[in-house]
Amino acid sequence: MTSTPIVRADRVTRAFAMASGPVVAVRDVSLAIAAGDYLAVRGPSGCGKSTLLHMLGCVDTPSEGTLEFEGRDVAKLSDRERSLLRLRAIGFVFQRFFLLPMLTAAENVELPQSEAGAGRRDRQARTRELLEYVGLAARADHRPSQLSGGEMQRVAIARALANKPRLLLADEPTGELDQTTGEHIAELLDRVNADGTALVIVTHDHTLAGRARRVVTLRDGQVESDRTR
Amino acid sequence: MRALAFAWRSLVRQPARTALGILGVAAVGALLFDMLLLSDGLVTSMRDILDRTGFDIRVTPTGELPRGGNRIANASAVLKTFAALPEVERVMALRFADGGIEMGPGSGAAGKDDSRPHYETVSVQAVGGGEPYPWTVLRGRDVQGPNEVVVNEALAQAFGVGPGTTLPLRPQCQSRSEVLPPAMMRVVGIVEFPLALGEHIVGTSMATLDGACGGNSPDEAEAVLVRAAGDVDAAAKALARARPDLRPMTNAQVLGRLQRTGFTYFQQISAVLTTVTLAFALLLITVLLTVSVNQRVGEIAALRALGLSRGRVVADVLCESVLIVGSGGLLSLPLGFALGQGLDRILKDMPGIPSAMHFFVFQPQALAWHGGLLALTALLAALYPMRLVASLPIATTLRNEVTS
Repeated sequence: MTSTPIVRADRVTRAFAMASGPVVAVRDVSLAIAAGDYLAVRGPSGCGKSTLLHMLGCVDTPSEGTLEFEGRDVAKLSDRERSLLRLRAIGFVFQRFFLLPMLTAAENVELPQSEAGAGRRDRQARTRELLEYVGLAARADHRPSQLSGGEMQRVAIARALANKPRLLLADEPTGELDQTTGEHIAELLDRVNADGTALVIVTHDHTLAGRARRVVTLRDGQVESDRTR
Repeated sequence: MRALAFAWRSLVRQPARTALGILGVAAVGALLFDMLLLSDGLVTSMRDILDRTGFDIRVTPTGELPRGGNRIANASAVLKTFAALPEVERVMALRFADGGIEMGPGSGAAGKDDSRPHYETVSVQAVGGGEPYPWTVLRGRDVQGPNEVVVNEALAQAFGVGPGTTLPLRPQCQSRSEVLPPAMMRVVGIVEFPLALGEHIVGTSMATLDGACGGNSPDEAEAVLVRAAGDVDAAAKALARARPDLRPMTNAQVLGRLQRTGFTYFQQISAVLTTVTLAFALLLITVLLTVSVNQRVGEIAALRALGLSRGRVVADVLCESVLIVGSGGLLSLPLGFALGQGLDRILKDMPGIPSAMHFFVFQPQALAWHGGLLALTALLAALYPMRLVASLPIATTLRNEVTS
């Protein structure tokens, strides 16, 4: 893809202050993700994959370097502006789903729309559409405790897509699932990307990473390889 | 989903913990409500009692409350002097005396306990100046003629007397050592003595008491009660001018004195207990919310990552606090009211408490204070958990949740 990047990391470094001295989780990484991109970030545990994902998703800011989201320097945005950016432009899928157990599947999907100020009818229509999209229309009124792991992750993907984000970030989305269920989730994510949403997946799973058009491998916080198919 | 609805769902998710929190607040809130009723209850009750007697000013020799100091000499002359003042509508002399009732065979009493002779002490309250008397008739009628008395409910029940029965009264007129024959009195009514102290009380006219004393009763009164014709303060000044040796005190001044002296203890106790109960509520809610927040940090970080603002997740915690305290607070009102009634009965049984006196008196401002203090508690209790949520590092928390 050659279109204008949604997010651009320019030599970003993220260091954490520890009692024994600063620990650098991500060092000097440059990366650009444009509309429709499908990127997998691989690497061993502790190599900085999640830290990079959090910076790309504007929940964390670099210690050094510049991170721009749609041309805006993320470090210069207020907490409220970053929240709004995440709400409207970025979707997150977590390894542990983090669905709210007291809400139904539909209510979980509605929550970000409600926060974004969508009207009730629009929310309900969008929620129905998304639950159909992930194949869970019949489970709309079920609570997370009544769903399987794969179903919960589908609801989480629907929730992440609720406000039509331009960028979807998934942190080990199949990490808690068996192989077959993981493949179904991977197929769903393929479809999300094919429908136009840029997708960044952090994963240990070679098979899942192999589905991406571009694979970035990190080691000790630095880019070891960056391959595009 | 708005913050309040969201908070409600969060609470319902942990029904046992929420129920415990609400019940805890209800118990604490009930105590708080009672302390607020107590803090002003005595003053309110006393104001009501003073107003019910129908007199605005009490004149005593020293400014002490009736029975607390010397008597007014030449009471009938004082009554005449005061009654002649244009600022005065009506006057009444009030005199207290101790006395006894002889019960048993041959006493002439129509009491229920006739098996053995015995003597019971009573308080006599005699008034001069005519009707209406400073008591409230519950049954029968008021004193109208000679040798007629009214008695309080406690005496009526203890001696089995009522309107139409006789009572052999032996008043102590000059000194406790004198021995007078009992005077047969006719009970004409059962009344409530708002300001009377003592368990068994007899009310009558000054003339009847004088007759029972064999015409040997001194012309004295503990107090002269005055109803002002217009402005109460102007009447009090006129009384002071007419008799500079006596001390008129308006109802407001009496209340002020009681507030500065006896009632202060209750108000201090009430203030201390109010503070303690609020501190308990504060700690209870803070602990509940903090535990709840700590159990949900992963979810909260995920919500923040999904774009929910810091203000929104903080508002959720505040709403949870408000819902727990609000529900508990509502529940605490009937509880507190019932508890106050019970405590009031216990306190009223103490010796020396006027029969019409109440300690726990409902007032609208107590309700407002109750609501205000609980609202403040909800806010303060939520401060620490709100701070936890507001300062939650999203990325670090998400990472820790996955690695934990």
